Amino acid sequence: MTPVLDFREIVRSFKRGIPVLDGVTFAMQTGEVVGLLGRNGSGKTTLIRIAMGMLHPYGGSVRVFGQSPVEHPVEIKLRIGYVAEDQVLPPGSSIAELIALHRYLFPRWDGALERDLLNRFFLDPSSRIKHLSKGQARQVALLCAVCHRPELLILDEPAGGLDPAARREFLETSIQLLNREGTAILFSSHHMNDVERLGGRVILLDEGKVRLDEELDALREGICLALVPKASASDPLILERVPGCLRVRLVYDQWHAVFRGEPAATQARLVSLLGVSGIRCEHVPLEELFIEMVGGERGVPA
Amino acid sequence: MHYITGVQLLIHPADEVPIYRQIMRQITDAIAVGRLKAGEKLPSHRELSEQLVIAPLTVKKAYDELELAGFLETQRGRGTFVCARPPHPNLAQQRDQIRDQARKLLAQAYLAGMEYADVLALLEEAERSLQAATAPKESV
Repeated sequence: MTPVLDFREIVRSFKRGIPVLDGVTFAMQTGEVVGLLGRNGSGKTTLIRIAMGMLHPYGGSVRVFGQSPVEHPVEIKLRIGYVAEDQVLPPGSSIAELIALHRYLFPRWDGALERDLLNRFFLDPSSRIKHLSKGQARQVALLCAVCHRPELLILDEPAGGLDPAARREFLETSIQLLNREGTAILFSSHHMNDVERLGGRVILLDEGKVRLDEELDALREGICLALVPKASASDPLILERVPGCLRVRLVYDQWHAVFRGEPAATQARLVSLLGVSGIRCEHVPLEELFIEMVGGERGVPA
Repeated sequence: MHYITGVQLLIHPADEVPIYRQIMRQITDAIAVGRLKAGEKLPSHRELSEQLVIAPLTVKKAYDELELAGFLETQRGRGTFVCARPPHPNLAQQRDQIRDQARKLLAQAYLAGMEYADVLALLEEAERSLQAATAPKESV
């Protein structure tokens, strides 16, 4: 089946010689949920804008529903719902006017879903955009993005700047859509708890490349963190060369090494390899895994 | 919603254990202590996913694993139920885990200044309350 979204070897830079994306490849299937993770500046938004046809890649190709988003912008946008990180809605118009515009643009507009969401969000259609709270404005943006029943929903940092209750409401709506429509969702987020809740597949961008691309549960159960006293490995290469090692960084007087595999087996392997005890291996929550994979070294004297 | 009468699920996304495992454990715990009884109906994937605000596939995964392990059964068109006869646990597999917990329990008790006999008394007390909770209800 044609993937919903297909990135191949995407390259893009904004400053000469400093690629933001440096060969990013992955594809999304119908109904799949993918969480796009990465530090600020890791290229998540750039990648999303390339999928939307708003930016050209310098290398590689992107296909949405099998077509180029630049050559077929209208056809593709009819099938996508998109909420941008800094979604700007016309401040002077009312919610009703904005919805009328979208209904006009999208022939498949679902009036029942629209009323349902307006009720659930307690939105008054006559309110002007400029009088809405940040959370309400996000809800309006989401409503406009989903009422044409898109096959692919792209949410760029949808919870950015929302309070925890508003974030949870946003998530509830996304999950209800997932249940009802089976929509494929690509979302970028810094909120690891939200990523855990939406589940699916996790893609971690770092230094322009895909560092991890795995089902969330496989990631949580198939990867562990090893704490190794600094003195027991003179060089990080010793750990990096161990099969299954994904990353090593120094945190004060310990190496923090991320390994593929079970904690007990990994610990036994490291103990026999380094000939020391005092190694601790454990599964870690997604937030810790994120920090271990892309965080810098800490406590190192200059 | 009145589907699960004997178990209230709470999930913590930041836990070391993935959400589907948290659901599995809470359901098996509820069966073990008698809060969920044989034949009781569980919420559908969709209902539980919306109640807990987690992906429907996560609920499905937890239910599927519990069905495979023999704790739940799905009756087509009717829903998911607690099995009449829960499986005999694989003792060999669980012994290590329970030994580990026993060690932790003792360590905690000693730290609190208790004696071995106090811990035994607590265990017996727990045994009695478990027996009472899981005993089949007498028909009146």
